[in-house]
Amino acid sequence: MSDPHPLMTLQRWMQSVITNPRGISAGIDNAAARQWIDVASDDVEQVIGRSQKRTSIERLQVYGNAYFARLVECMREQFPALCETLGQELFDGFALDYLDKRPSTSYTLSRLADRFVPHLETTRPAAESAAPGWADFLIDLASFEWSVAQTFDAPGTEQSGVITPDDLAQVSPDDWPQTRLIAAPCLRLHAYRFPVNAYFSDFRAGRPLSIPPAAATWLALSRREYIVRRIPLDESEFLLLQSLLAGQSVGAAIEAAAEQSADFDAFARNLPHWFQRFAGEGFFTKLVKP
Amino acid sequence: MTAARLGHQNLGLGVGLRSVHFGHILQHWPAVDWFEIISENYIDTQGRPRYVLDQIAERYPLVMHGVSLSIGSTDPLDFEYLAKLKRLAGEIDARWISDHLCWTGVAGRNSHDLLPIPYNEESLAHVVARIKTVQEFLERPLVLEDPSSYVTFAASTMTEWEFLSAMANEADCGLLLDVNNVYVSGVNHDFDPAEYVRGVPHERIVQFHLAGHTNMGDYCIDTHDAAVIDPVWRLYQLAHELTGGASTLLEWDANIPPFDVMHAEVLKARGHITAQGGESPEPITTKSADAPAPHPLHFVTPEIE
Ligand SMILES: [Fe+2]
Repeated sequence: MSDPHPLMTLQRWMQSVITNPRGISAGIDNAAARQWIDVASDDVEQVIGRSQKRTSIERLQVYGNAYFARLVECMREQFPALCETLGQELFDGFALDYLDKRPSTSYTLSRLADRFVPHLETTRPAAESAAPGWADFLIDLASFEWSVAQTFDAPGTEQSGVITPDDLAQVSPDDWPQTRLIAAPCLRLHAYRFPVNAYFSDFRAGRPLSIPPAAATWLALSRREYIVRRIPLDESEFLLLQSLLAGQSVGAAIEAAAEQSADFDAFARNLPHWFQRFAGEGFFTKLVKP
Repeated sequence: MTAARLGHQNLGLGVGLRSVHFGHILQHWPAVDWFEIISENYIDTQGRPRYVLDQIAERYPLVMHGVSLSIGSTDPLDFEYLAKLKRLAGEIDARWISDHLCWTGVAGRNSHDLLPIPYNEESLAHVVARIKTVQEFLERPLVLEDPSSYVTFAASTMTEWEFLSAMANEADCGLLLDVNNVYVSGVNHDFDPAEYVRGVPHERIVQFHLAGHTNMGDYCIDTHDAAVIDPVWRLYQLAHELTGGASTLLEWDANIPPFDVMHAEVLKARGHITAQGGESPEPITTKSADAPAPHPLHFVTPEIE
């Protein structure tokens, strides 16, 4: 019986062949390809022509090489600090495993790494103790680098403008607790098990790198003038912002953060300064008074 | 009768817009005739690439060139993607929208490569029907480029130029003739590139591409990482004569030189179309086990403070 969809069959066969990590011949002989076109690698000229100088296998190899080379290079560019930390060979191994297990389904390369952090989380070695280990550091670092790219392309405040510290100062004390602050659409809060932001600064400055000891850190990623900004936070600031971003009023957010704060006096002392700092960083786009 | 260039203007000599040149362009507003963008690098971002593009759109004619349409695929067309193309084209007043005669993946996957299709009646009918659907959706003719390729199919029953001609005439679309791709594929598939250039419908050629490639000895890889070589300039000259001229664009995607060097490269086209003049480097032959990747590799790295 003749194939009713020869083009579809050919495409499924060719994709299976050129994306096989064990190479073209193995790909042709693999069951995944043979379910579409049942041809052995020795007979592949029945499908792919040879040229005067090159065999069909050699010709297909160009696509096989390019597939992995192109996508691994893209991953290296998206995770430069992780690549430097692991060394290129090891990083490429992680990237190849990811591309093999979770191949791209998006029309854009900027979504290529979207499932990389979840992939690392599911394939990580079992933890040796309750304390965060090197695998957690690598996952934190990958997560940080991925988040930076999301912030770069996110909707920003460059055109819409932001609430300034002066705008905040003009809210009457009576209105303040009931006021809501609308966050910039590019603002994201992150909690890490390792000081990845400081580590990334070392990487950027070309300083020698070594995996730091575990220490909880908090970070805001935002954008100004189209450049991604990294703003380290302490735990109280993080909790306060988290409540504000969740839509709570200033008063309710302060209350929630104060409850979880270890040093209440310091919290109360720093509070006015924090709001000024947040506004100075352009974290808010709108004030909604009661 | 079909109007020359499907009625499109000859925009002159342009270069591909690359993010490494953003700073230079915003500072100097160089006297380049027009820019071509990689559509995928702008349809989703709301950050700096789009901000820069909007400023460039105010000063230069722009053309959108995509790598993800996958017109030859047997997967369904991606209308969400097409809607994004259409929207951006309206916002930046793109003169036309182009992509490649290829497929990029199947079964929901994307190889991010420009893969060739067999040239026969079945694939012709398939591609023509899809071009018509896309043109109806975009409300404008599509412009499709000849891909550089590295394999041929036993199932092919016609040459690439015969296929392109039938496709363009039946679907009533435009062509982007990449003369470097014609040269690369000619080496890889043992055909005469001049016969190819003579064989396509010249009035449908809206645009030319020029680029450099890597000669591996017994085949060529379309790397877009170097200057244009003499045999490619000669093909360009021939194509220019046959078409009466069309918008010409230089692509450079790896080892991207400073903007002025890239611009100077495309300006050499003047010498090649006015006289025998012009100069270009000797072809460099690489023989290496570590073959470079062909384009397209289009990933914009984020800028961080
Ligand atoms: Fe091209």
